[in-house]
Amino acid sequence: MKRSKLFLAAFLLISGIFFSCEDQVTTTYTYRTMLPVFLEMSDVRARMIAVEPAQPLDNPGKIYIYKDFLFVNEPTKGIHILDNSNPSNPINLSFIPIEGNVDLAINSDILYADNYVDLLAFDISKISNIKLVKRVEDVFMHMYRHETGQIITFKDTVITTESPRWETMGWLARSDMSFTANMAAASQSYGTGGSMARFTLMDGHLYAVDETTMRVFDVQIAAEPKFVKPIDLGWGIETIFPFQKKLFIGSNRGMHIYDASTPHSPTRMAVYEHVVACDPVVVNEEHAFVTLRSGNFCVNNINELQVIDIKNPYEPKLKKAYPMLNPHGLGLAGDFLYVTEGRHGLKSFNVKDIMNIDKNQLEFLQSMKSVDLIPGPKSLIVIGPDGICQYDYSTPSKLKKLSCIQVTNPVIIS
Amino acid sequence: MNRKVIYLILLFFFAYVKALAQDNVYFQQTEVGFLWGKGLKNWEGGYENRLNLTFSTFHGAKINPNHVLGFSTGLDQYDQINLIPIALGWRGFLGKEGKPRLFAGLDLGGGAAFLEKKETTDWSSSWYEGGMMVSPTAGVKFPAKRGKWALSTSIGYKRQQASFLQGFFDRSGLSSFATPGISRLPNGFSSLNETNYLFHSLVFRMGVMF
Repeated sequence: MKRSKLFLAAFLLISGIFFSCEDQVTTTYTYRTMLPVFLEMSDVRARMIAVEPAQPLDNPGKIYIYKDFLFVNEPTKGIHILDNSNPSNPINLSFIPIEGNVDLAINSDILYADNYVDLLAFDISKISNIKLVKRVEDVFMHMYRHETGQIITFKDTVITTESPRWETMGWLARSDMSFTANMAAASQSYGTGGSMARFTLMDGHLYAVDETTMRVFDVQIAAEPKFVKPIDLGWGIETIFPFQKKLFIGSNRGMHIYDASTPHSPTRMAVYEHVVACDPVVVNEEHAFVTLRSGNFCVNNINELQVIDIKNPYEPKLKKAYPMLNPHGLGLAGDFLYVTEGRHGLKSFNVKDIMNIDKNQLEFLQSMKSVDLIPGPKSLIVIGPDGICQYDYSTPSKLKKLSCIQVTNPVIIS
Repeated sequence: MNRKVIYLILLFFFAYVKALAQDNVYFQQTEVGFLWGKGLKNWEGGYENRLNLTFSTFHGAKINPNHVLGFSTGLDQYDQINLIPIALGWRGFLGKEGKPRLFAGLDLGGGAAFLEKKETTDWSSSWYEGGMMVSPTAGVKFPAKRGKWALSTSIGYKRQQASFLQGFFDRSGLSSFATPGISRLPNGFSSLNETNYLFHSLVFRMGVMF
């Protein structure tokens, strides 16, 4: 009897638990978005920029070779400096923290770097004692919001809320749209970036292009960069390549050729329009090599290498197009062209006979997944999922691996 | 739950049942019935009650004349989702052998959403996930006149968690590895709607034991 009472108690307990309960539903909404961040430039400027000890490479952007050093941008964070006197064993030296930095260029021991809306000049003649020597204020004006001295930048982030999206306010409610709209300000590196300034130096002038505008700086006195003027380019500008007093500007609509024989005032010579695709450009005396690639933002499903005759820069002509797999960045070293094919690997060609490039493929290294490369004086620097790798290319037809710099978050190739 | 782990448990489970069936120690209980729950509040503020099918089969070994340990599986239906419960279980008996006996049980495990298909479009993907399950029961066993068979009837409570997830693919083309908190999103998604259900059900079931 005692036992059955126990059971009765258990039964009551079970029903007690039950009757006090109803089903529960909770909803969480997690999304990736670009959170606007408002900054007072006066605060940014007030912060001291002091060189820090070496930091691990996290998510490297542009790589710049200067003397025996590699300068590697960490988008929006700063610049790593590596001693590359021995490409088989690069040594991470130090890190310059620069907020909002996306690009750099170096001229006569002066390093130029953007700091949100400002251009900074550092004296790097003593690599162990880098000093900020000049700040040119308010040049990359597109980040300014009204005339308040406040700038707007965007932080890529993931948010979890319990409120369904239609209940959240304003821009949050349209997070996907804000994401797309703001992606231009995102911190990503190769090729896809929008408003990222892209720097290049030629004839004592620094040219910085963002999505629509080229800004010209006079850097004939290296430590005294002077802002000359902005030049409107049109939409979708991605890369800039200087060659023999000309600027070749890759956009996602085509290639612009600017005459920079008057360096402070480049004038447009031609626009070579082609399909919309992502296209890095490299150039030699007679030809421009452009890769067109299908990708997320490069809507057209075209993967090819185009060779464009630029002997008459006012009238660029397509000579030949070669099908490729998924070409990203490319590099030209003399008669040898290296093309990164994303997840497909890396190809090398002899391009002496531009009508028969496909027949002169030297190597197709399928294991070398890569998105960009720089033919440096000592090594071919290849950027891919393994980090920043260097190859001996003294025998152009046979690449030899020298080293790889570990990167915490290497590029992911889709 | 990881599918491999579930398959392993199931494999082990059937091997174990087969081994036990040779012996007298084997015990099984198979029942069908219904789950009854106070559903979600509707727009009028009232509750939409739910009443759905439940099937359960428990297989175990007698560790002494009054206690059985084993595994249970079956099918639980809810308005939103069908789940396959996979649980560790215990059954305990009171009373004399050969007479109607009271019994109590406890099952502890999870519900798996195997039966729900993942739907994927160009833009999004949606799927169900099961979750933790706990179910105490109490009942009466009525032995048959001949043989080891017995009829059983039981009442219990079942607490079951489950989720419905809908994610939109990341079309930005921007790599996300440096994005703080990206681990909260499945790979390749830019957003995820997660609806978590907690079902409290009263379980009524009848079946057989031997």
